[in-house]
Amino acid sequence: MTDHKNHAEHAEAHLREKHLMLDPLPRGRMNEMVMESMRHITWKFWVVFGILAAISAYGLFYSWGVMIAEGLGVAGVNRPVYWGIFLVNTVFWIGISHAGTFISAILRVFKAEFRRPFTRAAELMTTFGLVQAGFSIFMHMGRVWLSYWLMPYPNQRLLWPNLHSPLSWDLLAITTYILGSTMYLFLPLIPDMAMARDRSTGWRKTLYKILALGFRGTEGEWTHLRNAMNIFAFAIIPVMFSVHTIVSWDFAAATRPGWSSTIFGPYFVIGALHSGMGAVITVLAIIRGTMKHMKYFIRPEHFDAIGKLMLIISMTWAYFFFNDYMVQWYGGDKWTKQLLHFHEAGPMGWMWFAMLVCNVVIPWAILWNPKWRSTPWLVSTVGIIINVGMWFERYIIVPISLTINRMPFTWRMYQPGIEIPLGIGTLAFFALLYMAASKLIPLIPVWEVQEGQMAHELKKFGRETVVTVSELE
Amino acid sequence: MAESKIVDILAVFPDLEPAADAIEHLRSLGVHDECMNVISGIPVTEAMLGRPSQWTNVPRIAMGGAILGFGAGVFLAFISPYVYPYPVQVSSQAFVPGPPTFVVLFELTMLGMLLSTFLGVFLDSLFPNYRPMKYVPEVSDGKIAILVECSHVEENKITDALKKLGAESVKPAEAQHL
Amino acid sequence: MATLNDLKISEVKLSEGEGGKWGMVIDQDICTGCQACVAACAMENNISFVGEEDSGYGRSMHWIRIERFWEGEYPEVKMTPNQPMLCQQCGSAPCEPVCPAFATVHSQAEKLNLQVYNRCVGTRYCANNCPYQVRSFNWRDYKRPEPLANQLNPDVTVRRRGVMEKCTFCIQRIHKAQDQAKAEGREVMDGEFTTACAQACPANAITFGRTDDPRSLVSQLAKRRGHGAKHLEELGTLPNVTYFKGG
Repeated sequence: MTDHKNHAEHAEAHLREKHLMLDPLPRGRMNEMVMESMRHITWKFWVVFGILAAISAYGLFYSWGVMIAEGLGVAGVNRPVYWGIFLVNTVFWIGISHAGTFISAILRVFKAEFRRPFTRAAELMTTFGLVQAGFSIFMHMGRVWLSYWLMPYPNQRLLWPNLHSPLSWDLLAITTYILGSTMYLFLPLIPDMAMARDRSTGWRKTLYKILALGFRGTEGEWTHLRNAMNIFAFAIIPVMFSVHTIVSWDFAAATRPGWSSTIFGPYFVIGALHSGMGAVITVLAIIRGTMKHMKYFIRPEHFDAIGKLMLIISMTWAYFFFNDYMVQWYGGDKWTKQLLHFHEAGPMGWMWFAMLVCNVVIPWAILWNPKWRSTPWLVSTVGIIINVGMWFERYIIVPISLTINRMPFTWRMYQPGIEIPLGIGTLAFFALLYMAASKLIPLIPVWEVQEGQMAHELKKFGRETVVTVSELE
Repeated sequence: MAESKIVDILAVFPDLEPAADAIEHLRSLGVHDECMNVISGIPVTEAMLGRPSQWTNVPRIAMGGAILGFGAGVFLAFISPYVYPYPVQVSSQAFVPGPPTFVVLFELTMLGMLLSTFLGVFLDSLFPNYRPMKYVPEVSDGKIAILVECSHVEENKITDALKKLGAESVKPAEAQHL
Repeated sequence: MATLNDLKISEVKLSEGEGGKWGMVIDQDICTGCQACVAACAMENNISFVGEEDSGYGRSMHWIRIERFWEGEYPEVKMTPNQPMLCQQCGSAPCEPVCPAFATVHSQAEKLNLQVYNRCVGTRYCANNCPYQVRSFNWRDYKRPEPLANQLNPDVTVRRRGVMEKCTFCIQRIHKAQDQAKAEGREVMDGEFTTACAQACPANAITFGRTDDPRSLVSQLAKRRGHGAKHLEELGTLPNVTYFKGG
């Protein structure tokens, strides 16, 4: 009898330890932990920050300046590879940005409770990733100083952008997405800004006071905020799908072998989620490992949950990849055949195989095991590998596929030039922005965590203790 | 004239349950629902506290923004090709291409809707607002505060009642810089 | 009951029927591959001199190029006829709709594919979508060493870095001839003018003129040789350049 009781107690203690939602701390304590994680800045932080700032300054801003002054000749683009790593990086960063929306909107709509502690960490990636995507696409332009011509604005010459062009749709979609996701990042942040305002002094107090907009938490304010977040969660999902679908149309709408594929829309969306989830899990592992108190908020259960999603997404990606490959192969068009052969057996064939290993083989080999996918360092390494694989995928779609066209006389390989420092620069600048934000805004949405902890409890069904959630909204 | 003087009382409760009880009791003391406001650090719903539903304009403003955005989309997709000094032909496509108009209409409708939803929160909550306000910072520690507006005469009666119902502190509310 | 005839297929307007105005006939059998057209085009149209290094990396900026192919494995190689390749002035050009800035549009009057240098922002989408790969991009501001700067054609815009360009069928010559004819109160006569490449061709392999006029030399040639071919016709681009080979 007592043995049985002990066993039940043990099971309960185990569940509480495992789940953040069942391991509540007083709200004041959680606030303190989050505030401390922001204020706690070590010398190591400044060293990394300094290095990243230097890389961004050289790789992104100086190199870009050189390219604007000299022309695109300093890059590796040529005929027929008119689009090079710039476009690879644009697609890559837009892909990264999809994870934030996926986690904070789709998981919110479907009330997936594990999302609560890291919605903001993921949303930040969306906004900062889109900034890098914007940099990459503007770098790519021959006369970037005239890029405002692509915006629809009334002008004396009665010129409007060409809305027949997928690039114009892209501009509309990415503008909508970057504005939408930034606003969606900001709305749930307001109560946390008020929290930070109440417990800080000096310049931080001023900053949070401005950003909290005078939020007190009255019934009216919460109602307006809840309604708005609900609208955002539903509305931003189709926007997210449209963004990457339109990015895929930049390729699919063209009359080129290998690009003109009707399945590119969903294939790109799932590819975006693949790299995005990989990036989220990597960032979460870094936050957990380096920031104070984050081991309380981000636990192996979260890595397990995201790991499962990664596995499903990897399988879906493989399905779309095979579908695309199969139909193109069966079509038998001589140029497409030539291109597929070039992908696999050409000088860059190693990349094609590495893509499959990184995107499918390694994730499947590791993520099926619950223990392995709950191990932060292991699953975040898989996340990095997936991102390498997805970058390869975009590299194969853009410069490698552009090598082969219907005019064999022009076939030529692409050798990246200044794209390399520029690409590394965007990566460093992304990390730099993220690091700065991690010390300036609460990375954990404390009120959402508290709300979740209120909703969760343990319940006994016969001899078994299980987790239950009540719907508070 | 002393009767008509209005005072604000701010009572802080440690939890949801006593706060909900207090609201019920205040109502029985004759305090109107409109004279109460709840300040909290998490979104406690009106139903939890037994309070009347809050009115919000956000969905209506969002709808208005969506309509405006759709209008902008109609202009771009259907009208802008005709405001050129002469029609511009590309390939063998019509001046107003069929399927791409849906893309333009969709994106601009969504943009209008999202922007106005965001704006709606600002309009409805009177953000940003940096004037002094009645507030207790304990709220963001998970406490629930009730702000009662009552006549000067009833102040003591209500204060006592709130204390009895489990309020941690009851004090006259003063507007302060947040 | 409805039959297939009710669909009135003939009433579906096929863009193929629209036809072009200016056209070119290239006889690959008599092309010697001497590159005179390439040089003449560069002179006429103020094309930048890219230099050895960039040219070797696929950044040559010729609006017309001579493509050479061979069949078989070395040493058993057999040359195929040279293939001058230039903008085909497609009737339904894939490059046009993809430009977000309307920098490449279709001329209603001349039925040509225009490139508006001043409006180009350099997304290079048009070049990717050109199945013939005949567009050239200004990767840099290439220097024109003295005295080459003195031979610029005043009728043609000089392009700067970051701008796409391509063959225009020497539209400046078309306009000049039209202005001249208008001043004299007559129509432009066939053979009154021609493009720089056709003018320079020592073998007369290139003929330019009105394809919508059955009496013009291009139309006559096309009729007489009979089996002209258009490049990548299967894509539905409606090219305005006809090639003769093996006749």
